[in-house]
Amino acid sequence: MIEPVAMANFFTVFFSAASVIVFGALYALLFAYARLHRRPRMMVLTYAAYLGLFAAVLTLAFAANLFSNGFWTLIVLLMLVGYLLAPHAIWYLCVGTHADGHDTGEGVTAETSPVKVYQQR
Amino acid sequence: MAALGVLDGANLNGGQKLAVKYFTVAFILFGAQILFGLLAGLQYLNPDFLFGVLDFSVNRMVHINALVVWLLFGFIGSVYWLLEDEAGSPVVGIKLGNLIFWIFTLAVAAVVVVYLVVQIGPGEKSSIWLINEGREYIEAPRWADIGIVVCVLVFFFNVVATFTKGRYTGIGGVLVLDLVALAGLYLAGMFYTPNISVDQFWWWWVIHLWVEATWEVMVGCLMAYALIKTLGVRRKIVETWLYIEVALMFGSGILGLGHHYFWIGTPEYWFTIGGFFSALEPIPLVAMVVHAVFDSGAHKMKNNNHPVLGWTIAHAFGNFFGAGVWGFMHTLPQINLFTHGTQWTPSHGHLAFFGAYATIVIAFFYLAMQKWRGNVWMSGNMAGDWKWKWSLALLHIGMIGMVMGMLVAGYQQSFIERAIEGSTWMGYFTAQAHPWFLQGMWWRQIFGWVFAAGYVLLAWDLLTIGKRETRPIAVLHGDASPATA
Repeated sequence: MIEPVAMANFFTVFFSAASVIVFGALYALLFAYARLHRRPRMMVLTYAAYLGLFAAVLTLAFAANLFSNGFWTLIVLLMLVGYLLAPHAIWYLCVGTHADGHDTGEGVTAETSPVKVYQQR
Repeated sequence: MAALGVLDGANLNGGQKLAVKYFTVAFILFGAQILFGLLAGLQYLNPDFLFGVLDFSVNRMVHINALVVWLLFGFIGSVYWLLEDEAGSPVVGIKLGNLIFWIFTLAVAAVVVVYLVVQIGPGEKSSIWLINEGREYIEAPRWADIGIVVCVLVFFFNVVATFTKGRYTGIGGVLVLDLVALAGLYLAGMFYTPNISVDQFWWWWVIHLWVEATWEVMVGCLMAYALIKTLGVRRKIVETWLYIEVALMFGSGILGLGHHYFWIGTPEYWFTIGGFFSALEPIPLVAMVVHAVFDSGAHKMKNNNHPVLGWTIAHAFGNFFGAGVWGFMHTLPQINLFTHGTQWTPSHGHLAFFGAYATIVIAFFYLAMQKWRGNVWMSGNMAGDWKWKWSLALLHIGMIGMVMGMLVAGYQQSFIERAIEGSTWMGYFTAQAHPWFLQGMWWRQIFGWVFAAGYVLLAWDLLTIGKRETRPIAVLHGDASPATA
C-alpha cells in the first residue's frame, strides 16, 4: 500500500511538503489581495505562486513515491484541484456573507469595500 | 462601575468573576508547564540531573499534563467570560459552578502532588485508581478522571441552562454542541483493556478528536466572540463564518484521526484514510488566509484592544505554521514511518499547541483585564505598552527557537535512528549521542529560558496593564452589541 521514502529523498520530502503549504497560502494571499485592491496584473503573481504549489506537489509526489499507486495518485490530483479552487470558493463565500448589510466602518468607503470591488469586477 | 484603571469585581458579571478564577489557575499552570519543561530539557543535556529525585518521566508527564489542564481551565474560563454576555441572562447555577471550580482546582493539585510523591512503584489496579492511569498525556488516576467528567458536566449544565433561560446565539448553539462532544469523547480514554492496540485506538479519540475537532471548534467560538468585541465585526458575518469553519474543520479533522493510526496495529486501510484527510486538513488554513485578507480590507484593523488583536494575529500565524506547515511536512505515511516519535513530533506539537490554543487563551486574559479595570483604553499610545509587545515577542522567539532546535534533532533521528539503524535500541542511543541531536537540545534549552522570560514579562504586564489609564475603551464602528434575541 505504501512505499517508504528513500533516505536520499528525506530532505526533498520535508522541503516540498512545507512548500506545498507555504505556496498554497501565498497563492491564497495574493489571490485575495489582488481581488480586494482590484489589481488584475497581480493575478500573474498569484498564478505564479500556484505554479510553485504545482511544482511542490509534483516534487513531493515523486520523492514520496505517490505515483506508484492509483490511490495516492488520486490524492495528488485532489490536492492540485483543491488548492486551486479553495481560494475562489472562499472569496465567493466572503462576498456572499458580507453582501447583506455590510458594515462600512471607518476606513472602509463604498469605493474600497470588498463587496463594491467584487460588484465592479 | 468603579473608577477606570482600578481592578474591581463590580466591573464584572457573575460568570466573568468565575472566569477570572479559572484564568488565574490557568496562568499558574502555564508557569508550571514551563518550569517542568525546563527541568525535563536539562535532563536531556545531563541525564543525571535530579535522577532519583524528580525523574525525567515525571517531569515530562507533569509538563504535558499541565499543558492540557491549563488550556482546559483557560477554555472553561473563556466560556464563562462570554456566557452572560451571549445569553443575555445571569449564569444559571453559578454557586454550583463556583463550588466545582474549587473542587476541580484541588483535584488537579492533589493529582500533581501524588505524581511528585509517588514516582515509581508497581502498576496495579489500585495504582490505576489512585496514582496514575498510565495513559500518555491523560495519566490522571481513575478517581480524577471521574471527577473531571463530573466537573465538565456541571460546566455543561451552567452553559446549557444559561442559554436556555436567555437566548441561543449562533456562537451559543455551536458551543453547546461542541461541549457535548468534548465531554463525551473524554469517556473513550477511561476504560481499561489489556490489548495495547485497542487501547491506543480509543486513546486517540481523546487525544486527536479533542485537539483537532472539539478544541478547534471551541477556539472558533472564542475567536468569533473576540472579533465581535475587539474589531466590531458584525455578528451575522462572524457566525456565518463560524458555521463554515466548523464544517471545514469537522470535514477534514475527524477522519484526519487516521494519521495517528498508522503504526499502532490497526488495519492498512487507515493509511488511505489518514493520508487522504491529512492532505485535506491544510485547506481550512488556506481558506483562513483569504478570509483574513478580506476582513482586513473591510475593517482596516481598527480595534479597541491592541494586545487582543496582537495575540489573535499570532493565533492565525501560529495555527497556520504549527498545524499546517509543521504537520504536513511529516504526515504522509511514506515519511511518517521515519519521523513518528522522534523530536519531529514535539517540534510540531509545541508550535501547533502554542499557535492554535495558547495564543487565544492569552488573548482572553487581556480581554478580561480590560473589563476588570473598568473597560479602560487599550488601543494606541497605551502607557507601558512595550510590555505586552515584548512578552509576545519573547514568547514567540523562545517558541520558534525551541521548535527549530527540536526540528534539527528530529531530522537527525529520522536518518540515524530510523533509516540507517532500523529503529533498534542501538540506533536510538546512537542518534541520542549525535552532535546534531545534542546541539538541538542545547538550543531548545536556551530558547526555553527565553520563553520563560516572556512568561514573566507577560505576568507583569497582565498585573499592570491599564493601571494608570484614565481613558475609556475606544468606540468602534459596526455592530459590536450583544446578540439580538
